[in-house]
Amino acid sequence: MASRRRMLLKVIILGDSGVGKTSLMNQYVNKRFSNQYKATIGADFLTKEVQIDDRLFTLQIWDTAGQERFQSLGVAFYRGADCCVLVYDVNVTKSFEKLNNWREEFLIQASPSDPENFPFVVLGNKIDVDGGNSRTVSEKKAKAWCASKGNIPYFETSAKEGFNVEAAFECIARNAIKNEPEEDMYLPDTIDVGGAGRQQRSSGCEC
Amino acid sequence: MADEPAAAGAGQDYPTIDPTSFDVVLCGTGLPESVLAAACAAAGKTVLHVDPSPFYGSLYSSIPLPSLSSFLSPDPSTPSSTAAAAAASGSHTAVDLHRRGVYSEVETSGAVPEPARRFTVDLVGPRVMYCADEAVDLLLRSGGSHHVEFKSVDGGSLLYWEGSLYPVPDSKQTIFKDTTLKLLEKNVLYRFLKLVQDHIAATSGAGDAAGIISEEDLDLPFVKFLNQQKLSPKMRAVVLYAIAMADYDQDGPDPCEKLITTREGIQTIALYSSSVGRFANAEGAFIYPMYGHGELPQAFCRCAAVKGALYVLRMPVAALLMDEEKKHSVGARLASGQDILCKQLIIDPSYKIPTLDVPFDESDSNCPRKVARGICIFNKSVKQDASNVLVVFPPKCMVMLFLLVDPVSILDLALEEQQVATVRLLQLSSNLAVTYRKANLTCRFMAYLSTPCTDASTGKHCIKKAMDALFSPLDSDGSQGQLATTSGSTGDVKPTLIWSCVYVQEITQGTSSSLLSCPMPDENLDYRNILESTKKLFTDIYPDEEFLPKKSAPVHDDEDSDSGE
Repeated sequence: MASRRRMLLKVIILGDSGVGKTSLMNQYVNKRFSNQYKATIGADFLTKEVQIDDRLFTLQIWDTAGQERFQSLGVAFYRGADCCVLVYDVNVTKSFEKLNNWREEFLIQASPSDPENFPFVVLGNKIDVDGGNSRTVSEKKAKAWCASKGNIPYFETSAKEGFNVEAAFECIARNAIKNEPEEDMYLPDTIDVGGAGRQQRSSGCEC
Repeated sequence: MADEPAAAGAGQDYPTIDPTSFDVVLCGTGLPESVLAAACAAAGKTVLHVDPSPFYGSLYSSIPLPSLSSFLSPDPSTPSSTAAAAAASGSHTAVDLHRRGVYSEVETSGAVPEPARRFTVDLVGPRVMYCADEAVDLLLRSGGSHHVEFKSVDGGSLLYWEGSLYPVPDSKQTIFKDTTLKLLEKNVLYRFLKLVQDHIAATSGAGDAAGIISEEDLDLPFVKFLNQQKLSPKMRAVVLYAIAMADYDQDGPDPCEKLITTREGIQTIALYSSSVGRFANAEGAFIYPMYGHGELPQAFCRCAAVKGALYVLRMPVAALLMDEEKKHSVGARLASGQDILCKQLIIDPSYKIPTLDVPFDESDSNCPRKVARGICIFNKSVKQDASNVLVVFPPKCMVMLFLLVDPVSILDLALEEQQVATVRLLQLSSNLAVTYRKANLTCRFMAYLSTPCTDASTGKHCIKKAMDALFSPLDSDGSQGQLATTSGSTGDVKPTLIWSCVYVQEITQGTSSSLLSCPMPDENLDYRNILESTKKLFTDIYPDEEFLPKKSAPVHDDEDSDSGE
């Protein structure tokens, strides 16, 4: 029973609207990219089976469902996260400056037992835009910030080109595994009224 | 939060919302508003959902203990809508919107245990869900079930009877195992349960039609029916108050209007028995959401957001926008001063519905229903080896003594007053993550109590009386009263009360007109009535739309194939 918790890793992706959170998820899980921006509609979370060192895990990647636009994510969204991915757009300085707010928001809302060591991963997305010419945040600057926050792993990605996305998510998965769930004490026998729905596509779930 | 007046609508850092026109605007994120938001979004409507607070849930939220007192007794000088003072713009008129006081008579005692933030308190307590009730079905249909997990009320229910607690025999197994019942009582109860079960089976087409209880009997007051079945007074109390969940005295001298019929009683028993065993690892009929009831509105809001609803917390609505005749609301003016147009405005019940030029037939000020609630923290379970338990105090089970000082004779007058309504108590333990959850800290239990009342002080008195019956005060060391727990007798000492809070909440019903107001948390143990009126509000606005159809759960892998490459 406790293994259910071990097998399932909850990852949440935070960052300003339009930095490419949904695109990164879609590229990683579905190997698809859409140029058409729509404020996220229709995605709750995506799941992907990953194999790390001979063990199988289900990565459950939670989208913000647009609730990040006015900083209106509820505390329930943050609960039980095993890893928090912070995304910014390398072409938009403000989205980089907001990373600190997102990190703090996460730590306040999720209140992990060991905030110093909670696994974050930072992604600088859209490095493909304009051949890198419109870039306003340098890799050096981003890495310096990550280093100052307890050496957060940093990846430069392009959801559009699929560049570095796989590597970034492998790192995310590895970090999520390392996160010791503090809630083991009482989680094992919770009742999930959706049955096994949390681990499957819910559309066909019948109770 | 909003602690300085918004000068000309731009004094605070309110964001600008785009677009400025929606099908539906909802203000407040209580459970009814959140379910409506999810239902409207699922029906393809454009939805803006705002809440003045920085958190979700409004009157249905679960809040950290240190925030409780400010929530129950908000600062009366909260700035009300200076932005609304702006003159009518264009073709519509702004009507200021004000909050009303929902809570009164707040009284706390004891020291708040530390770390206080580790305690999360429900504003709707005591409340549970039946495993088979509408709330669970709505969660499943909307996909909200992905966002909440539950625990069982594993200790079952206890009845407070003649000064002791007795387990509620609610099934054949529990009757069999019960050590407090006489053989005759067991037989009568068996027969009664069999009768009810045959009826339920027969009406659902599964059983022998001969098992159907006659219409005549179904229309009978349930208590009469139970008398016919020769149930003893204690067994009647069990069935009426701990299983059929009757609120008011069912066999008082004067026939009160709150008598439940056999039909209603059997309906609840049917729900009860279909709830037992619905989920493999749920014990008993009731479940409670991990982290508190405040998770439920968030789950529905998330469903709405996934379907495209726009969410803005920390955004009060300052005024309604009315059409020229002041007959219909056409939108809302936000605290930012921004005007949002909408076809339907839905507000949470903590906003007063302004008296408009149109006559309002719903006069909620006449004699508002009230519920007295209590929250307490104590050091050990009221029932040994059980973490989550429901305790029912049937009407008249406690003697109510009022000490009054007669101003003329300066004598203490003892007034005996009847406890007219059922008091219910729900004990929760740390396995629900609402109280202490660290292994190295002392164990703490929490309980919610409620009783419906017309008079605030009587209601509060009943709540305190129930607390006195189960707990001993902190200062009485060594000499605690004995509470005979017949179930697992350990020669127990009563649990010690560490902190408590008693208050009274008004209850208003949902109203629908061009402006929709949602129902407040009611006196019931479950959400059935609230969700029923929520559903009615939805069908009032969209008679042709299905209320959260099954297909409305989001698909978890993006199936749309608009690859832009």
